Amino acid sequence: MTRATIPYRLTALVVATLAAALGPAWAEEPPPPPSPSDAQKIEELEQRLKVLERKEELAKEESAAKEKEAAKVSIGKDGFSVRSADGAYQLKVKGYLHVDSRFFDGTPDDATDFTDNLLLRRARIVLEGTLGKYFDYRLMPDFGEGRTVLQDAYVDVKLAPEFRIRAGKYKPPVGLERLQSANDLYFVERALPTNLVPNRDVGIMLHGEVAEGVFGYAVGVFDGAADGANIDTDTNDYKDFAARLSVQPFKKGRLFGLQGLFFAISGTYGSSLGGTVSATGLSAYRTAGQVPFFAYRAGTTVAATTILDGDRTRFSPQAYWNYGRFGVQAEYVESSADVRRGADTARLSNTAWQATAAVMLTDDASSWKGVSPKQPFDLKARQWGAVELVVRRDRLSVDPDAFPVFANPATAAQAASEWGAGVNWYFNRNFRWMLDACRTTFRGGAPDGDRPRELVYLNRFQISW
Amino acid sequence: MPMLRSLLRPAAALAAAAALAVPALAAGRTMLNVSYDPTRELYQDVNSVFARQWKEKTGEDLEIRQSHGGSGKQARSVIDGLEADVVTLALAFDVDAIARAGQIAKDWQKRLPDNSAPYTSTMVFLVRKGNPKKLRDWNDLARPGVTVITPNPKTSGAARWNYLAAWGWALRQPGGSEASAKELLRGIFKNVPILDTGARASTVTFVERGIGDVLLAWENEALLVVKDLKPGEYEIVVPSVSILAEPTVAVVDKVVAKRRTRELAETYLRFLYTPEGQEIAARHYYRPRQAEVAAKYASVFPKVTLISIDEVFGGWDKANAAHFADGGTFDQIFGVGR
Repeated sequence: MTRATIPYRLTALVVATLAAALGPAWAEEPPPPPSPSDAQKIEELEQRLKVLERKEELAKEESAAKEKEAAKVSIGKDGFSVRSADGAYQLKVKGYLHVDSRFFDGTPDDATDFTDNLLLRRARIVLEGTLGKYFDYRLMPDFGEGRTVLQDAYVDVKLAPEFRIRAGKYKPPVGLERLQSANDLYFVERALPTNLVPNRDVGIMLHGEVAEGVFGYAVGVFDGAADGANIDTDTNDYKDFAARLSVQPFKKGRLFGLQGLFFAISGTYGSSLGGTVSATGLSAYRTAGQVPFFAYRAGTTVAATTILDGDRTRFSPQAYWNYGRFGVQAEYVESSADVRRGADTARLSNTAWQATAAVMLTDDASSWKGVSPKQPFDLKARQWGAVELVVRRDRLSVDPDAFPVFANPATAAQAASEWGAGVNWYFNRNFRWMLDACRTTFRGGAPDGDRPRELVYLNRFQISW
Repeated sequence: MPMLRSLLRPAAALAAAAALAVPALAAGRTMLNVSYDPTRELYQDVNSVFARQWKEKTGEDLEIRQSHGGSGKQARSVIDGLEADVVTLALAFDVDAIARAGQIAKDWQKRLPDNSAPYTSTMVFLVRKGNPKKLRDWNDLARPGVTVITPNPKTSGAARWNYLAAWGWALRQPGGSEASAKELLRGIFKNVPILDTGARASTVTFVERGIGDVLLAWENEALLVVKDLKPGEYEIVVPSVSILAEPTVAVVDKVVAKRRTRELAETYLRFLYTPEGQEIAARHYYRPRQAEVAAKYASVFPKVTLISIDEVFGGWDKANAAHFADGGTFDQIFGVGR
């Protein structure tokens, strides 16, 4: 007999007892009053019934309280998560997969016909969460391109929204597109300025948001990664200092269309001495097709190799704005470094800029932080998701003083200029298809003048959760 | 050395940013009072008056949150991490449990007057109008056919006071002994059909659900029912002997240190001893400590012979070990009684 059936049986018993005591309802004579012993029995039965009902009520309350205290497991568009009832402990399992293809325009004997590729650009599992309310963590290995690289591994101590301390390996607070999630990029590959800012570095950073996100700041000390580099350790005693200040001036205001306007300025300062052939502190720069178009001279000895030897600074103003179906972003980066090759020294300043515009063809909001289609793809409902067109212009210029001592003008280009256009089809928040065409022209970089232009078609199937 | 030089500038910037960020943490004033079951109405009034006074004194807006439940259960929640700035619990033993967990200083009872118990109460019988079962004293509760409502002594402070009051009564009877007291409690708990987790839940069982012949209740809870909630439907029976119940209050040191609310929390608890705080307590049928206020409300509270925990049981630690710890007399009685 289940608990729920007990009250019903007892109710039936009470009713039967009452019926027996009071007589048939259709009797002409009024029923005699119940005897004292009958009344007592009825009262006892009523009490038992009430006790059972109350016990059931308490059991339900207890069950509800336990449910409230129990850990919550959820799975949805933001991945899989487990959290304690008070939210002090959380584990989120996320991930993303970028399946790309790169097709270069050119004939097989053409110098610009680089190898066409189908590749796993990124295959990342993200474990993140909270331990003891104040301590967030994130671990993100990447298995893309046949390698295993630990991209992120850090702890974030969040004393208050205005005051957080992050320690470990992560993106230093420099650049604009570099700090955008790879899942939210307008193009398959980031624009040329990202070549001049570090990718991942190990360090300690104080950061936070003030006035509910109107202002943001980050300032930290890092090992000091070269332009575009992803490092796990340092090779010298010198450290880099990185900082970024941001403002969304109209975030809380009502000025027409300006809530999504964002400005930031960021930079780094550091030094390095004693570079080696294998640790020069300098990097090559790549096109959208991920083909190197500039590299410093490298030799078998330190004297024949260009190395970082002194100060390195970076400076980067940046902005983006999203309004309705439209979005734009722009950034400028200047990376200056003292370099040495043998007895020759120089301070070289390389610069880059980019401007990107996006428009949603569907009635969806453009966003720097990813698009969520209002009508996710559903064949039965004849919904197609969201479609976006993007276009960009970007350029990277190498300091002319780099040539010919520190870089070989016959193989390293002095400048790269790119036009890009593309379409993004967001099936839902988790899956999108991207197709880009990027055309890059160069100044210098070939024995006989300019390196031939590069035209690459980039395609991506992206899933993230 | 180069590393030191290289770090100097970033370190200075970090310090500056920290200096800018830290004042922002001080904004906003909230406080949590974790209390036992029947004090909801009392602390709603206390909080309202105190917040107004605090605003006048400091200019700060103050939000005082309340949490209520069985006293033992509430103490457990604080030990497990519920961030209470103050606790106002049914008995000193529950505050001691938090102190043993290292969250309150061991000498907490000496910090405020009257052993940190700003008001007192006792346990009485709440019966239905006319007292149909003619219940007069503790031994009547063990009669066959009487249904008794009391919460679970494992989770409720009120239930422990009830239990010990009955035990103390039995000891004072001619020929009273531990054995006769145990027999009385066994008889009483044979008549208990439901063990609620807290005193307020037992009041609901008795008053709202209409279960039982008698509710063993806090005096303040019984007076609330008789005078305010259900006038004319219930009566209070004062047993020949009851127990001096001393609900105690304390600042939770670890929490106030972390939240920087010590001054606020201490002022809040001291307010309970002021004439205004004592008046509020008396209005909610708690026996005030202050003589003037007690005299003013003397007619509200029936006269009753009271025994104390220290006098009869040698303090809460001993009482708990003997009766409510695992394997104690309650476990023996309730197990057999069922």
